[in-house]
Amino acid sequence: MTDFRALLQLLIENEVEFIIVGGAAATAHGSARLTLDLDVVYKRSSENITRIVQALKPIKPYLRGAPLGLPFDWSVPTIQKGLNFTLVTTLGALDLLGEIVGGGGYEQMRAETIEVEIAGVKCLCLNLDRLIAVKRAAGRPKDLEVVAELQQIRDETRQ
Amino acid sequence: MAAMNDVDKVEAQQEVDPIVEAYKRDVDVTLIRENLRLTVDQRFQQLMELQRFAEDLRRAGRKAGEK
Repeated sequence: MTDFRALLQLLIENEVEFIIVGGAAATAHGSARLTLDLDVVYKRSSENITRIVQALKPIKPYLRGAPLGLPFDWSVPTIQKGLNFTLVTTLGALDLLGEIVGGGGYEQMRAETIEVEIAGVKCLCLNLDRLIAVKRAAGRPKDLEVVAELQQIRDETRQ
Repeated sequence: MAAMNDVDKVEAQQEVDPIVEAYKRDVDVTLIRENLRLTVDQRFQQLMELQRFAEDLRRAGRKAGEK
């Protein structure tokens, strides 16, 4: 199980700059669909990457689905050399994304966020219109089902 | 009335995607309305309970398969 609330608390307590996207963002907006991982787009500055490495170290991040025992070094250079990381941690599944299709990176999406309060901490979450656009851009059949639900949510909240 | 620019045209086309419209017919609006009454934090608590339940079901299914 992924402890979304504890993961978000951990990131905020360590002053990590990120935006909630994906299924967790859909949940924040009222989706009834089950999602198993926390997807966040993180700011790619050196300071923020350092904060991410420090924040996640205690929860032992490792590449999700990779065989055990690989020499995965959780460090600032590793994050700087890569972009998107699908991780498993002791608090559950976490996708750290430098960029997403249809949205871009943290700086591009920052203006299209709302602030939400989860487990007593305030986090940025992609707004509903941009989330719909991102899901459309992803274009997988399962994303189109999510788009349908998100559009219904938009219709409901506009009434 | 101002003419639509290309971006508006693309967005207007996307708004009426027939696949999405077809999926929309199957969305349970009652669940959405229930969720919209909750706070964002309550929605995440509910999601985690749902995950726990899904894991219990998977475990039960595996046990039943072993018998």
